[in-house]
Amino acid sequence: MNWLVGIALLTSALSGLLVVTSRIPRRQIYAMGANGVALALLFFVLQAPDVAYSEIAVGTVIVPLLFLITLAAVAVNRARP
Amino acid sequence: MTGSWRLALLAPALVVLAIAAAQVILAMPAFGHPLSQYGATVDALVPMLRNVSNMVAAVNFDIRSIDTLGEESMLICAVTATVVLLRGHRGEGMTECAGRLPGRVWLERSDATVLMCRLAATTLFLYGVNVVLHGTVTPGGGFQGGAIAASSFVLIYLGEGYSTWRDVLHSETLAAVEGFGGFVFAMAAMVPLAFGYAAAQNVLPLGTWKDLYSGGLMVIVNAAVGVAVIGSFGVLLMEFMEETRAPKPGDEDDEDQEEGA
Repeated sequence: MNWLVGIALLTSALSGLLVVTSRIPRRQIYAMGANGVALALLFFVLQAPDVAYSEIAVGTVIVPLLFLITLAAVAVNRARP
Repeated sequence: MTGSWRLALLAPALVVLAIAAAQVILAMPAFGHPLSQYGATVDALVPMLRNVSNMVAAVNFDIRSIDTLGEESMLICAVTATVVLLRGHRGEGMTECAGRLPGRVWLERSDATVLMCRLAATTLFLYGVNVVLHGTVTPGGGFQGGAIAASSFVLIYLGEGYSTWRDVLHSETLAAVEGFGGFVFAMAAMVPLAFGYAAAQNVLPLGTWKDLYSGGLMVIVNAAVGVAVIGSFGVLLMEFMEETRAPKPGDEDDEDQEEGA
C-alpha cells in the first residue's frame, strides 16, 4: 500500500509542476485538470473518498471549465469588430 | 530599489522562513499517523448515537451543522455575487447562437458525440442524485453528489449545442432550486429552535443503521445541500457560458461601442 501512496504523491507533484511550467494558458488549464485527477487518486489512496469526489467534480470539471470559458470569452470579445 | 538590495533583503527572509518551516515540519505527526482524538471519538460514538455509517456526513450535517450552514450561505453569496457582476454588465437577454471567433472552422457534431453525451449526461445526473441520497450511508453526500449532478449540465452543452442548452436550462429555475435548498437547510436549523431545542438539533427519528433513511434530520439537511449545490453550480455555469454568446443589438456591450464610435 505504501508504494501506491508514493506513486500518487509523485504523480500529483509532477502534474503540479506541469501546471506551473506550462506557458500557454490553455495548456495550463488542461494540466490543471490532470493535476485534479492525480490529487483525487491521492485522496482515494489515502482513504478519503469524500474529498476525492469533490476534487474530481470541482477540480477537474468545474474549475478548468470556468477557466476555459473565460479564455473563450476574452477571445470572442477581442475579435468583435 | 535595485536588484542587489532586493536580494539582500530576500536572503535574511529566506533564512527566517527556512528555520520556521523546519520547526513546523519536525513537529508534525508522522505520515499515516493514527487518527486524531476528535476523529477517534466520532468514529466510536456516532454510529451508536446517530445510526449513520458515513462519519464525514455526520460531522458536516449534524455535529457541526451550523458550520455547514455558514459554508452553504457562503456558497450562495459567492454565486449571487458572480451573477450580479456578470449579468449586471451583460443584461438578461437571450440569443439564438453562441459567439464564434471569425475565421474559425465550424465542424458539425458527430453522431457519436451526441449519443455519448446523452448517455453520459443522464447517467451522471442520476449518479449524482444517487450519491446525494446515500450521503449518510456511503462516502459522498450533498456537496459531492450535487457537484457531480451539476457537471452533467456541461455535457448537454457539449452534445446538443448552445440553443438547446438554453432551452433546457432556465436560469430562473436554477436560481429557485438553489434558494429552495438554502431555505430548507436554514429551516432545518431554525424549526427545532421554535420547539425549544438547540439549533439544528437532531429531533427526528434516527432510522436504521446502513439504511437509506438513517440519521434523522441529517437526511433532510443532506438533501437540501445537494439541491442547493445543483442549483448554485448550474447558475454559475450558465452565467459564465453566457459570456461567450453572440452579442445582440441592445446589449450593453453594443451600446458601449456605439458611444465609443
